[in-house]
Amino acid sequence: MAKIVVIGAGFAGHTTALYLGSKLGRKHEVTVISNRDVFGYVPSWVWVGVGHMKPEKTVFKLKSVYDRKHVKFVHAAAKEIHPEAGDQYVLGEEIGTGKEVRLDYDYLVIAPGPLLNFAGTPGLGPEGGFTHSICSLPHAVKTRDAYLSLIERMKKGETVKIVVGTGHPGATCQGAAFEYIVNVHKDLVKKGLRDKADILWLSNEPALGDFGVNGVQIKRNGIVQKSEEFIQSVFKDHGIRYQVQTGVTKVEEGKIHWQNYEGEEGVTEFDFSMLIPQFKGQPFKYIGKDGSDISAKLVNPAGFVLVDGKYGLPYPELARTPEAWPAQYNNPTYPNVFSAGIAFAPPGPISKPFTNKNNIAIAPAPPRTGMVSGVIGRVVAMNIVDLITTGKMTHSERMTEMVAACIASMGDNLWDGNAVTIVMRPVVPDRKKYQNEYGRDLFTSHLEMGLSGAWMKFMLHYTFIWKFKALLGWKLIPE
Amino acid sequence: MQQEFSKSEKFWMNFKLYQLWRFIVLNIKIYTVAVQSKWH
Repeated sequence: MAKIVVIGAGFAGHTTALYLGSKLGRKHEVTVISNRDVFGYVPSWVWVGVGHMKPEKTVFKLKSVYDRKHVKFVHAAAKEIHPEAGDQYVLGEEIGTGKEVRLDYDYLVIAPGPLLNFAGTPGLGPEGGFTHSICSLPHAVKTRDAYLSLIERMKKGETVKIVVGTGHPGATCQGAAFEYIVNVHKDLVKKGLRDKADILWLSNEPALGDFGVNGVQIKRNGIVQKSEEFIQSVFKDHGIRYQVQTGVTKVEEGKIHWQNYEGEEGVTEFDFSMLIPQFKGQPFKYIGKDGSDISAKLVNPAGFVLVDGKYGLPYPELARTPEAWPAQYNNPTYPNVFSAGIAFAPPGPISKPFTNKNNIAIAPAPPRTGMVSGVIGRVVAMNIVDLITTGKMTHSERMTEMVAACIASMGDNLWDGNAVTIVMRPVVPDRKKYQNEYGRDLFTSHLEMGLSGAWMKFMLHYTFIWKFKALLGWKLIPE
Repeated sequence: MQQEFSKSEKFWMNFKLYQLWRFIVLNIKIYTVAVQSKWH
């Protein structure tokens, strides 16, 4: 009987666990260790943050789902990983009791999601800082409360400054911030308060609509359309000002300090701000048999797990080398250690990085959330099933092969809401396969705005919660 | 080059019958491309 341990129960970890449980759960031991006992449907937290969805509608308890899928659940925070052959285990601390938990494994999947590195930008974040975040449910609730207080001030006649975007020169997840800013706009329009707010998009993207993936390009009626022009039109239509190529370096009460590509330093004042922090890997200890620190064999300096990618290539070479992106997501030194979702180390950025004259690298990190997380989680699970049943992995999917669909909400109302529907193929450009300057399949890639997107976003909320609860037909729903 | 959405574009973006058609088309498109991932 093989023992498989999955660290984390988000999009990647939970998907991995469901496939493993369904394929192996009856004959082998599949265990999930997570510091949260609920699954959180992250894409809907943008609605929680403007008070349009109750927080409890975005979460459900994991234990009952895992019981049905023959997966053992341990509510504990993983602390140490001991990957040396012969004595491989994870040490954790049980939530509530603080009791030490030891989980031996034959296969390990590290998928705990990101460490929200608010400390990387002094003054950032809702805990001890001055800005807000929608990256966790408690943060989204706090953001909602602060936003609703702001609304009260506006109702009394006050004009306010709202800043939304990225809070670190190397932050990712611009898509979530984009959804938030347009949902705030829409909400203010509905409340008749839009004229009381000056809204600014502040981001580290090289260009508007880049989203950390080098933008989205499509071909319609023989003409190439780019997300940059599309998002410019959206912001112009909504009266949202924007400032890109900017890395936030410090936040003080009501003031955001930043540097831009030119190396200029500036300050932007705000009354309310939601800025996405830098993501890092979870700070687990990786310990060898002799008790030594073996982190360098498993993770990069940011704490992301090294897998089967080609690391260290300069950007121009990486952009021409699609095979540099990992395919099976296992560590070369410890091949029975896999990683999925945000936790794996990408070989480099997707968007063109930039370092200004003050040596500040302003470069969005590659997004690895949502559909990408789920797909990688499934690939990892199926390969572990392969290894246990046949001894050979048969599944692989690089981000240079992967399709991603994303519905960016721009108002949740089913009558007059809106959303941008984005399909990218592949997520990371493959300039060898697709012989155009963008390295993408311009026919399959899609960019469209309309009410149908709002219906899709609403439908996806319920469809994916159905899938993640592993209810009837869950495997038919793509990741 | 920065452009504004035209009146006609805005009309179609919220014209319910047309959007119902787009909803069906987009669902088929996304499902078709996403399900191919399962073959890897």
